[in-house]
Amino acid sequence: MRKYETVFISDPDLQDQARLDLFDKVRNIIAKENGILLNFDDWGNKKMAYEIKKKLRGHYVCVTYGGTGDLVKELERNFRLTDDILKFMTILLSDDVTVESLEKEVADAQEAAKAAEELAAERETAAAAEKAVEESDETTEVQD
Amino acid sequence: MYRNQKTGGKNRFFQRKKICRFCVDNALELNYKNPKALRQFITERGKIMPRRITGTCAKHQRQLSLAIKQSRQIALLPFVGRPMH
Repeated sequence: MRKYETVFISDPDLQDQARLDLFDKVRNIIAKENGILLNFDDWGNKKMAYEIKKKLRGHYVCVTYGGTGDLVKELERNFRLTDDILKFMTILLSDDVTVESLEKEVADAQEAAKAAEELAAERETAAAAEKAVEESDETTEVQD
Repeated sequence: MYRNQKTGGKNRFFQRKKICRFCVDNALELNYKNPKALRQFITERGKIMPRRITGTCAKHQRQLSLAIKQSRQIALLPFVGRPMH
């Protein structure tokens, strides 16, 4: 199995629902061809360096997944058929990966995200506590 | 008077020692997804700058040219920039 990364530019004027449908389609293709979705990164609307299909802006999405060459073929065939996709590019990230290693990677990423979230929450509560302390200090000062 | 006149015309220009910025700075990410960093290594016209000007080492110049070409492919960098006036 190989690890690939595909960046595709979708139409910036697409309605939200249509865009979600498009993303679901991509996910379905990966699932159908026995691929493992590692990361679905939405970069949002960005200005492009040159015009594509008379459009100056594009909605960038970066998908990282594990799969075979047939999956890439099928995915790119569908991209070519879809008018809402302005351009796409697939890059080979790793030549030799196993299902287990990919699953481990997904689990690791989830764990890291969870840890980061917890850390952020902790910081927030700490900041809130600090703020409360400061406020109470101020009130005591006023009383003095 | 020119400082280097004694050397018979050679070394006419003082040359600063060039260093590879990717070797020195590990934080400088060499990736097609980072067009901000790559922009420093292309000309206004959008051409890839040669090693003799930027001082990038051979290993990183190879990676850099690949990254720039990939970045162009998905319209993060221009194939042809605006002409200079």
